[in-house]
Amino acid sequence: MPAPRAPRVLTVTQLARRIKEALDTGFGALWVSGEISNWKHAASGHLYFTLKDDESQLDAVMFRTRARGLVFDPGNGMEVVVAARPSLYTGGGKLQLYVDTMEPLGVGALQRAFEQLKERLAAEGLFAAERKRPLPRFPRTIGLVTAREGAAIHDMLTTLGRRWPLARVVVRPVRVQGDGAAAEVAAGIADLNRLGGVDVLVVGRGGGSLEDLWAFNEEVVTRAIAASTIPVVSAVGHEVDFTIADFVADLRAPTPTAAAELVAPAWSDVAAHVSRDEAALRTALSRRMALARERLARLERALGDPRRRVEQVAQRVDELSLRVRRGVARRLSWEQREVAALAGRLERVGPAARVARARERLDVAAERLRRAIDVRVRHQRAALQAATGRLDALSPLACLARGYAIARVGDATGPVVRDAAALAPGDLLFLAFAAGTARARVEHTEP
Amino acid sequence: MADDVSTPKFEDALAELEGVVRRLEQGELPLEDSLAAFERGIVLVRLLSERLTQVEQRVEVLLRTEGGKLSVRPLDDEE
Repeated sequence: MPAPRAPRVLTVTQLARRIKEALDTGFGALWVSGEISNWKHAASGHLYFTLKDDESQLDAVMFRTRARGLVFDPGNGMEVVVAARPSLYTGGGKLQLYVDTMEPLGVGALQRAFEQLKERLAAEGLFAAERKRPLPRFPRTIGLVTAREGAAIHDMLTTLGRRWPLARVVVRPVRVQGDGAAAEVAAGIADLNRLGGVDVLVVGRGGGSLEDLWAFNEEVVTRAIAASTIPVVSAVGHEVDFTIADFVADLRAPTPTAAAELVAPAWSDVAAHVSRDEAALRTALSRRMALARERLARLERALGDPRRRVEQVAQRVDELSLRVRRGVARRLSWEQREVAALAGRLERVGPAARVARARERLDVAAERLRRAIDVRVRHQRAALQAATGRLDALSPLACLARGYAIARVGDATGPVVRDAAALAPGDLLFLAFAAGTARARVEHTEP
Repeated sequence: MADDVSTPKFEDALAELEGVVRRLEQGELPLEDSLAAFERGIVLVRLLSERLTQVEQRVEVLLRTEGGKLSVRPLDDEE
């Protein structure tokens, strides 16, 4: 017989764990609204408070990591909506709501939360102009984080298809309003970043009320946009609506259609641009060619017609050869002159020259001699004449002329008779007169 | 996509084309370089024009599977 089973005894911890398990699996996360009381901001950063309504109250805790995401300052008496998990705090034996997010209830509160978050993020510098990244001019892949259905996605796909059908569009469908929308949008942004190859993101939805757009005012979305490595264009609602996402995005588009226009260039513009570039290319090349051709022509001109060049060269050769010939001729004649000069010099020093010089000297001497002789002759002649005159005066002929006669013995050759004593009668005498002769005989002599 | 990796980005190709045009227009390139630049430019023009004529829009949906893996499918055979 089997022993009766002893009742199973649980330790407190075991039970507490079971209760905790039951709570955790039975409830999970849910949204709870209520009023805050017993508000306590612990030094640890955790928030402890009681959430109550008219009949009930539950303790709640919001840990520091979650509390950092608060977009407003909660406090006692404030109506809030929390996303929370009911669970057992085994250490304290307390049922607690573990709060993940908390939002103020009501439009006024939303507005306040909006302003508070905006201020806080602005102070952090998330909206700074220098954080804004330029969009790629020609996105190859465009990521859309938006609702799967509705006007927004339709408008964006239509606009992208019309303007820039080259791009691949990857849609990350998300809920854009209601519970969990913000987290989905944030996850969508992160997923498209993880996917890789996406050039630009559009995050958005069509217009709506502040509550409808609220997801885009939540910090989780704002942080996801700020953390995106891909430039983000926000496209929330219509022009009058601004969301926090708009401030943190790299570019804000007033509508989804406008966002599609901002992220994609117009195909026709780009095609026109490319064909303009092509035309510019051809123009530039033909200008370059024209320039080169002109330069070539210039060089050709500078170089001249080769035939003319040859002619010119030939002419030049002719000129040169002429000059050479002239030069040679000049040189020859110079040489001839030189030879002549040398010959002259040679002649001057040679025997002929000497002969000539001797002859010359001889001539000179002869001349001098002749002249000397002449002088002498003339002198002699003059002397002769003088002598002749004197002679004339002394000439017997002159005596004869005066009537004297010369008596010679015998004949004309006989001795002149100067003394009659030399004569004997009868001697023959030869008598010479001034004119003629006579023969005579001595008849008588007297002493 | 393989061709996204091997072919230059549209933006880069257009920027290169503009650079080629500018260099050619400045007229300072030697003639042979001009011809090379022109040929490169025409290649880019052809490439860009071809890209521009691929006008079929591709829309895909990015889905997250159970395991948190991402998968991309054409928009229309999503389900």
